[in-house]
Amino acid sequence: MMNAIKNYIKSLFLLELLRGLRLTLSRLFRRPFTIQYPDERAPQSGRFRGLHALRRYPNGEERCIACKLCEAVCPALAITIESEPREDGSRRTTKYEIDLLIVETRIFEYHFEERGKHVMTKEMLLEVGDKYEAELAADRATESAYR
Amino acid sequence: MSDSSTPEMVTIEVDGQELQGPAGAMLIELTDKACIDIPRFCYHDKLTIAANCRMCLVEVEKVPKPLPACATPIMEGMKVFTKSDKARMAQKGTMEFLLVNHPLDCPICDQGGECELQDLALGYGRDISRFSENKRVVADKDIGPLVATDMTRCIHCTRCVRFSEEIAGIRELGATGRGENTEIGIYIEGSMQSELSGNIIDLCPVGALTSKPFRFTARAWELVQQPSIAPHDSVGSNILVHARGSQIMRVVPDRNESINEVWISDRDRFSYEGIGSDDRLTTPRIKTNGVWHDVEWQVALQAVADGLRTTSADQLAAITSPTSTLEELYLAQKLMRALGSSNIDHRLRLGDVRDQDSAPAFPGLGCSIADLESLDAALVIGSNIRKDQPILAHRLRKASNAGAELHFINPVDFDFVFSVANRLIIGPAGMVGATAAVAAALLEANGKSVPADIRNLCTASEVDQGAKAIAGSLQQAPRSMVFLGAIAESHPDYSVLRSLACTIASECGGQCGYLPQSANSVGACLAGAQPHRGVGASTVSDSGRGLAALVEGGMSGCVLLGVEPEADCDDPAHVIAALEDCGFVVSMHAFTTETLEQVADVMLPIAAFGETSGTFVNAEGTWQSFSGVVPPRGDARPAWKVLRVLGNVLDVEGFEYESSEQVRDELHRACEGVGTDTSQHGNCYTTALDVGLMRVADVPIYSTDALVRRSPALQKTGDAASFLARISHAQAAQLGLSDGESVSVVQGDARQVCTVVTDTRVPESTVWLSCGTAKAAMLGASIGPVSLEKGSGEGML
Repeated sequence: MMNAIKNYIKSLFLLELLRGLRLTLSRLFRRPFTIQYPDERAPQSGRFRGLHALRRYPNGEERCIACKLCEAVCPALAITIESEPREDGSRRTTKYEIDLLIVETRIFEYHFEERGKHVMTKEMLLEVGDKYEAELAADRATESAYR
Repeated sequence: MSDSSTPEMVTIEVDGQELQGPAGAMLIELTDKACIDIPRFCYHDKLTIAANCRMCLVEVEKVPKPLPACATPIMEGMKVFTKSDKARMAQKGTMEFLLVNHPLDCPICDQGGECELQDLALGYGRDISRFSENKRVVADKDIGPLVATDMTRCIHCTRCVRFSEEIAGIRELGATGRGENTEIGIYIEGSMQSELSGNIIDLCPVGALTSKPFRFTARAWELVQQPSIAPHDSVGSNILVHARGSQIMRVVPDRNESINEVWISDRDRFSYEGIGSDDRLTTPRIKTNGVWHDVEWQVALQAVADGLRTTSADQLAAITSPTSTLEELYLAQKLMRALGSSNIDHRLRLGDVRDQDSAPAFPGLGCSIADLESLDAALVIGSNIRKDQPILAHRLRKASNAGAELHFINPVDFDFVFSVANRLIIGPAGMVGATAAVAAALLEANGKSVPADIRNLCTASEVDQGAKAIAGSLQQAPRSMVFLGAIAESHPDYSVLRSLACTIASECGGQCGYLPQSANSVGACLAGAQPHRGVGASTVSDSGRGLAALVEGGMSGCVLLGVEPEADCDDPAHVIAALEDCGFVVSMHAFTTETLEQVADVMLPIAAFGETSGTFVNAEGTWQSFSGVVPPRGDARPAWKVLRVLGNVLDVEGFEYESSEQVRDELHRACEGVGTDTSQHGNCYTTALDVGLMRVADVPIYSTDALVRRSPALQKTGDAASFLARISHAQAAQLGLSDGESVSVVQGDARQVCTVVTDTRVPESTVWLSCGTAKAAMLGASIGPVSLEKGSGEGML
């Protein structure tokens, strides 16, 4: 009986609504957390995993030797690799494709305009690696202390 | 190892578990049987014991040092600890030493994921290497187009060396140097001679020896494994087909002690490469006005039905390949017989049909494959068994090693991997005489009079001594057999050879058996794919015409099932000519060839090996069924389904099968009680061959069927077919020819330019000119009169 009266008074004077508005009002005068992306950027760790890249050795040789372990371990089955002996007899991929559902470098801003374009081929991945090699190498050098 | 007397049983204790085994057995044999895991690299149950990897060290009570389980014979009351601290320490120590010189780059190695060293290193290896010195590097050896080498990875288990010496029977591989400088190498760079060489890929516990065609293309964990049956010889080796997606990536052996043990021939292992050959037929095609068009199945089947309907029954024929499955052959003959024609044949390389009605129900081995090992003596007539049926040759080798005396009557002195007690090497015409001489010698030794028929055949007196030796050996042996091989089958006096072989077998108390050539030679007889006998090899009232008779003419409609006339028939030129005269030819085949495009009117694409379910009956008569592993390429369909639908389109009754198993079961019921006696024979003693220079041809190991002919790796080996006329030195001198000279080979109307090679393996009056090349296909039958004419001949540049 008492509870019913209590609830009636609470709803009659909109007490709960006012309590909520009080929080809103208090936040209004604090410094906002939101940053003005893309004009403003949050700091990014060297371990950030964005767009994928295939790297090369300093002499220009691809690092990927088609061991296929990434293909085996990928839980989303997003990687497709086909391999065969290259002309010099070394083990290389003939096809290395990643269905871009997950990302690995610090580049995280990209988009696709057509269906099917989300699959990155070996050439595209190597291009990304070549473009950002300096950054990737620097990141890995910084992180090597923690590995 | 097995003695006729039962050995004493010994009881030992391993890890507290009591085990019993025969005295003298090695410890590891018992623990393997009891599923107690002991790590090992060099031990293999089919090879001799080397005990050089030291990985299987175990602790034995009262023995101060750990002992290798593979080389420690069990003794009464022995107490063994396989997982004690001492054993573990020894095993871990061994592993550390093995890894000292083994590269640690598993991701780049083709064995990664299926490597014995990788697996055991996980259990017995240290986390961090204590070895900071330089690792050794060994140059890779070129051992041919089938096996890739990475010799730096070798851990010197010597399994491959022991295999080549003990199983393959050719000392090809060996270890040179000592200690760290030990290297496994091949004596002759470039190629392995053995037709079983691929087995070293399976034996190698590390990635030192891997498959070259498979190299770097897939990982073990990506592959789906399905059991199947090898389709290339009458052994019916059990295999495992590894597929990724819809592609067959490789073939490895399956264990079946009664058939192939754990080995398969290179032919069975590497032929899969042919499946995706460029000339694969993937859509039904019809030829209109000499131009081929791709059409829908419905259109093609209707065209076939119309063509067959308009052909009169006695002019209708089916030529089937003995590598087709049982189901395909059964449905093909059922369809033919329903259309009123018994003109169906699978005996594409048969040289003589005179005694076909008195021949056995099927050309079986006459004993089980495993029984070959326990023979005491055998006479093999007209066979290059080592290349024709490598696994059977391996069994004979085991018999020979156990003391069996093997005798051969051959037109060429083929190289074998076992010791041959007596060999009568004599031209095709002389083979009959030599066989007759053995029969006569046996009859005389048994105190019987030699019938005049046999006496008249004994023409070659130079073989008398050898024949007597063979007769004596066969007579004394408790278990003896006489085998007729592939060359005997294509011999124009096959009937005579059969009669003589059966006489020899019955006189020496043995059996006469056959070495059938193809995967389903036996099955085709049971399925009724021959003109004179129906299903279950039953006699039929309306006997049809076989291939030999059909070639003579009177064929206006023909179904080719899996046949490439230019390569699968004994006398290709005549068959092609007959097919060109034939009004309507349907080719049901997985591939297309120039000849087929020329002679056929409709082509139906059918599934190749690994793409269809079916059954093969092997030489010993075992029915082995298998299922498809990958879907057929393109629009190709399993042939049994095509024949089934063709039956429906033609409104033939009894074609309502829904699975190949139904077809097989129907046939199996019909085959109950089929006689397995392989000693039946007619009494045919009139020879059809004249004396004079004769061609003799074998079918080279990598030319036997459509698939192996399309396997690039196999064609790169030394066993690939070559077009050479091999003659003896004396023959060359007599004809005034020298080594490497070009001559015209004339056989009937056919003439081809060929290089002469002098060869000590060829007897007098004989030209050894193998089948399997396009030029050889233009000549005549594999055994027949031939002449060599000096110079390139007219019409040639």
